[in-house]
Amino acid sequence: MSLVNYAAREITCKIVYYGPGRSGKTTNLHYIYGQVPTDRKGQMVSLATQTDRTLFFDFLPLDLGIISGFTTRFQLYTVPGQVYYQTTRRLVLQGADGVVFVADSQARQLDENVESMQDLHANLADHGVDARTVPLVIQYNKQDLPPDLIMTVPELEDALNFRGVPSFAADALHGPGVFETLRAVSEQVLRKLSTGGGG
Amino acid sequence: MKLSVAENWVEAPLKQFVDEARVQLAVLLNPSGQVLGQFGFASSVDVMTACALAAATTASSAELGRQVDGRPFSGLHYVGNARQIFLGQVPMGTSSLILLTVFDSESSLGLVQLFFQELCAAIAVIVPKEAPSGPALAEDFERELNRNLASMFGRS
Repeated sequence: MSLVNYAAREITCKIVYYGPGRSGKTTNLHYIYGQVPTDRKGQMVSLATQTDRTLFFDFLPLDLGIISGFTTRFQLYTVPGQVYYQTTRRLVLQGADGVVFVADSQARQLDENVESMQDLHANLADHGVDARTVPLVIQYNKQDLPPDLIMTVPELEDALNFRGVPSFAADALHGPGVFETLRAVSEQVLRKLSTGGGG
Repeated sequence: MKLSVAENWVEAPLKQFVDEARVQLAVLLNPSGQVLGQFGFASSVDVMTACALAAATTASSAELGRQVDGRPFSGLHYVGNARQIFLGQVPMGTSSLILLTVFDSESSLGLVQLFFQELCAAIAVIVPKEAPSGPALAEDFERELNRNLASMFGRS
């Protein structure tokens, strides 16, 4: 739930990057961290295993500056994608104002993408949240891989985007699509606040 | 150092806790990691990081407690070389808040626990005022959002 301090005119929102293991959630945050000037970001915290797989979450606080007279801050989280970290994913998802679903475009990862999307809906339901009301953006990552390895965006749309939410092709390692994804989810989260539905 | 709050109703009990328990840092947050009030942190992003980790620690220790003891662990105390950390859950109606506090030899665990109980009692009787309803942002916020994001990403 967004925290709006009307007296101090501050807004804080929580955005969670969700998706199957190795789809590129942490890579998105690393790219953002590398692009944003020091005075607009905090330290990126990664609770990871020795092999750099996300164990609990990654966390990156961002200061978006003044929007409509409010100092606006975003807290970006990732969840661990591996199937057996189900409990951890549910904990990190608590209180999310918006979700970025990072799908792996590789054809052989289709089942994992579908399973992770179902897992997202189940975890939101566990928190008593109707998934249709949560700002959601889908990112089709790894679109830079050879065409014979990946599914096209229309094919992925058919498989995953049954709600018709904004979606973006991306190559999170090198940047294309990362900014657009963040902008789209930010816009949806703040749009909800602008219509009085975010608090 | 100044106490700052995102919710006015936490100011008095948090101030009393900081003064009486003589702690160096204190932050009151909700279980999803959003700060409600803090004392002693130098920057807003430091507070957000502390809150994310405090919420995660609380959530994971509660889950660990359920697994090994059938009920959630509700507190944590860590003794460092010079400073100590205390993390406790503050019941509030049907949910709870989390207090993260750091103290040194100016205080003690006993003192912190004593005034933590007083903080819990004070929060328990507070009924938060209704948040102002209605839109928080102007409808044309996108222009400023896009400008700020572009500036952050060096695209302006």
